[in-house]
Amino acid sequence: MKNNIENLIAEKLKREIETQTRRHFIKQCATGMGGLALGSIFMGCDPLSPSKNNNNLHTGFTERDLNPLATLSPPFAPKVKNVIYLHMAGAPSQLEMFDYKPELAKLNNQECPQSLLEGKKFAFIRGTPKLLGPQATFKQEGESGNWVSDNLPHFKKVVDEVAFLKAVHTDQFNHGPAQLFMHTGSPRLGRPSIGSWVTYGLGSENQNLPGFVVLTSGGKAPSAGKSVWGSGFLPSVYQGVQCRSKGDPVLYIEDPDGISRDLKKNTIKAINEINKKEYSKYADPEILARINQYEMAYRMQIAVPEVMNINNEPDHIKEMYGVEPGKESFANNCLLARKLVEDGVRFVQLFDWGWDAHGTDASTAVDLGLKNKCREIDRPMSALLLDLKQRGLLEDTLVVWGGEFGRTPMQENREGKTMGFKGRDHHGDAFTMWMAGGGIKKGASHGQTDAIGFSGVDGRVSVHDVHATILHLLGFDHEQFTYDFQGRPFRLTDVEGEVIHEILA
Amino acid sequence: MHVLKQLLGRLHPLIVHLPIGFIIIGLILQVYDRKLKEHNKVISLIYLWAGYFAILACITGYLQYLGEGYSFDSVKLHLWSGIATALFCFLMWAKLKDALKTTLISKTPLVVLSMLFFALISFTGHQGGNITHGEDYLAEPLPNSIKSALGYEVFEEKEIVLTDENWETAVLYTDVVQPILNNHCVSCHNPKKAKGELLLHTREGILKSGENAPVILADHPNKSELFTRMELPVEDDKHMPPDGKTQPSKEAIKLIGVWIENGLSFDKTIGELGLEKSLFQSFFPKTTKTNYPNIEITAAPQDSISKVKNSGLHIDPISESTNYLQVSALNLPSFADTDFQLLKSIAPQIAILDLGGTQITDALIKDLASLPNLTIVKLDNTVITGEYIELLQNLEHLKSINLSNTNFKKENLDKLKGFPALESVFLFNPKLDKSGTEFINEGSTTIEYGNYNLPPLKTDSIVY
Repeated sequence: MKNNIENLIAEKLKREIETQTRRHFIKQCATGMGGLALGSIFMGCDPLSPSKNNNNLHTGFTERDLNPLATLSPPFAPKVKNVIYLHMAGAPSQLEMFDYKPELAKLNNQECPQSLLEGKKFAFIRGTPKLLGPQATFKQEGESGNWVSDNLPHFKKVVDEVAFLKAVHTDQFNHGPAQLFMHTGSPRLGRPSIGSWVTYGLGSENQNLPGFVVLTSGGKAPSAGKSVWGSGFLPSVYQGVQCRSKGDPVLYIEDPDGISRDLKKNTIKAINEINKKEYSKYADPEILARINQYEMAYRMQIAVPEVMNINNEPDHIKEMYGVEPGKESFANNCLLARKLVEDGVRFVQLFDWGWDAHGTDASTAVDLGLKNKCREIDRPMSALLLDLKQRGLLEDTLVVWGGEFGRTPMQENREGKTMGFKGRDHHGDAFTMWMAGGGIKKGASHGQTDAIGFSGVDGRVSVHDVHATILHLLGFDHEQFTYDFQGRPFRLTDVEGEVIHEILA
Repeated sequence: MHVLKQLLGRLHPLIVHLPIGFIIIGLILQVYDRKLKEHNKVISLIYLWAGYFAILACITGYLQYLGEGYSFDSVKLHLWSGIATALFCFLMWAKLKDALKTTLISKTPLVVLSMLFFALISFTGHQGGNITHGEDYLAEPLPNSIKSALGYEVFEEKEIVLTDENWETAVLYTDVVQPILNNHCVSCHNPKKAKGELLLHTREGILKSGENAPVILADHPNKSELFTRMELPVEDDKHMPPDGKTQPSKEAIKLIGVWIENGLSFDKTIGELGLEKSLFQSFFPKTTKTNYPNIEITAAPQDSISKVKNSGLHIDPISESTNYLQVSALNLPSFADTDFQLLKSIAPQIAILDLGGTQITDALIKDLASLPNLTIVKLDNTVITGEYIELLQNLEHLKSINLSNTNFKKENLDKLKGFPALESVFLFNPKLDKSGTEFINEGSTTIEYGNYNLPPLKTDSIVY
């Protein structure tokens, strides 16, 4: 009976095959092949699959499958290995720090000409504002003779180490989008931050520490939220790890009460034993990646508190930075940044909040509160450069300083009224950034703004140009460094950006 | 009347496509009808109308030739082949109607005639295209190699290279300006194409006017269109070279201006004109400073690399474009002198070695001397005293030694003299007493003693 049925089935199949002609085959090939092609055009939903197609990462079973932070060589000879990015959240006033405009002082309190205001959008300025002269005195400093205001007396000593970009421009004039733009290359949510791109592209050398660490000071996180160090469409393992400089550096990293380190070790060992058995059964690389992650977390429990502890630093170093142990301060973060880079952390991102000098009260006045903010960063950032330099780390590290935009040469007149304190509104047309470190031309100054510092007249560079330059120094061609997502390759610099060769050594 | 003539003439490019379309339709139908031959009547009608329109095209074409001032030589092929095409239309019409019973044509197979017809219409069309767009129009996008193989004249794009030795004796016009023009302008401004009637391939051409006015005025770059139009933003309609063509660099454009400003000299050297070297910096060969020797090397054996990796050392090629390796003991603080044997099989490839914060001692220096291509070595935060450091002198690529926070002794400072390529030594160490020792900066070595401080300032405590 059984044989009979099998015979019948075999016969039916044979009949079917007999009716299949060469034409059927070719016809089906057409749709079948088309379908296959379609599959690769649309790509799968697996977020990891595009990374396997990426030219950097070869298909199959790579070290990256097992450890997503495994290091990769950059495509071109790099100038630096690490980046410390100092972001002054709220946008510091370039007109009180670096961009000296004597002409603006002469025009102080005069009405801003209409021609400047036409077609411009401001966050708070309404009607016709008055020009506001620089609220600081400037001198040319160092051998380079670059201008620095006396709001930054310590920084004057290191001015020859840095290269200024005096005419950076952005197209955003509100904090959130502008910060996103500055850190992800797009003012809208969803793109990976520079730090994520860099850790994705290069991995992390230290196996016991995250590759991308974020430290904040100034009392608040940046307006754009954690997306400024988010990983966007990159795997989330590349997002920034925020470490607190007060209390536990990473929350929940300590073992709970009553759980000893040995017990933890044994737990992880047992779990990993089971995982290894699972792996021998299914050979799924995800399992190996998980084993690695558990082990790394275990190692991090020791390594992170160690590197985040600044108390063991010698007094003369602590003094140089002006640290305040136990507090959350920019100085502490600068010292931590050096320690992290020394320990092979790829990208350290510092955010210092409180630079939004609108002049709504004394703390945001450009002649009062801004001076306090300048004092808070002056010593630490200068110390950071010197400390990196003396340890030979400045050769491998790029230090970037800047805000999300600049501030207007006009005094803010919120609601069209004259305000009690001197403040400046958001302004994206021209602002100053600086870079220092490996591959940077020391003492350079690129770009120039007009007589009142309203717009760049020479050497204007965009946010994309800044990104292209950072990637260039790390050994990437920003046009080739892509990640496939939603059916097309994405770049940090979108379709723009030119490396700013003028500030490169 | 002249106006009408010109207007009709200018309709030629429009009208000419009617017979072309008709003929093509006819030929396609002939292909379908090749076996049964049941539609000869329709097809012959199509050819009849193609013939009428072809005559119209011939007339308008002739008017255009008269009205637009073409030379007869440049249009004659197109003109004759156009007339031939028109006649051929009627011939095909007659053939398909079987109106030619006894002539030679009637004996020729239809398919031969159709093919001839197709060839003729293609040839005529192509000739017309050449008149409108220029002969190089089709070949222009092809790469230079194919172009020259096809027999087109290729304007060689040559990189301009100046060197430290020859830059002053280079002639500004011959060695810099003309090559810039050759690379970016001459592909359109040459005797064959002469866009805007401007020729930029020779000195005479540059000095002669274009269709509007002279493009150059000595000493006044801002009154010289040659310069000002290059300076316009790329988006500007008047910008040259047009958007889409390879753009000259900012430096190159600047040099065109400098050349005009300095009296438009055709024979003076850069030195004679007294121009600054910085103007020409971008034409010097790029001395890219890399952290590895500028010598090709074979890749290290994969199993050796794996062995090093498995030991816990960090190892990677410095970049994807080199086989030189960077090795770091960042994750292996227990690295000691005896572990060096791990590195022996990859010794030639090691260019960057970071042994900072490990257990190494002075004895390791001897081993380090066996790494021929070592360029950067980091020995910071170890107990190295600097004894034997002179052994590293035979490393001809060694650029940087980091000895910060070590037990480096003051008496060993002198041993750092005479390194062939050494650029920087990091000796930051609060304990190092360097008084009384004057390190003579030989060659380009700088020693970084560090110990910076930022003495407190009065302003540090002022709170506003």
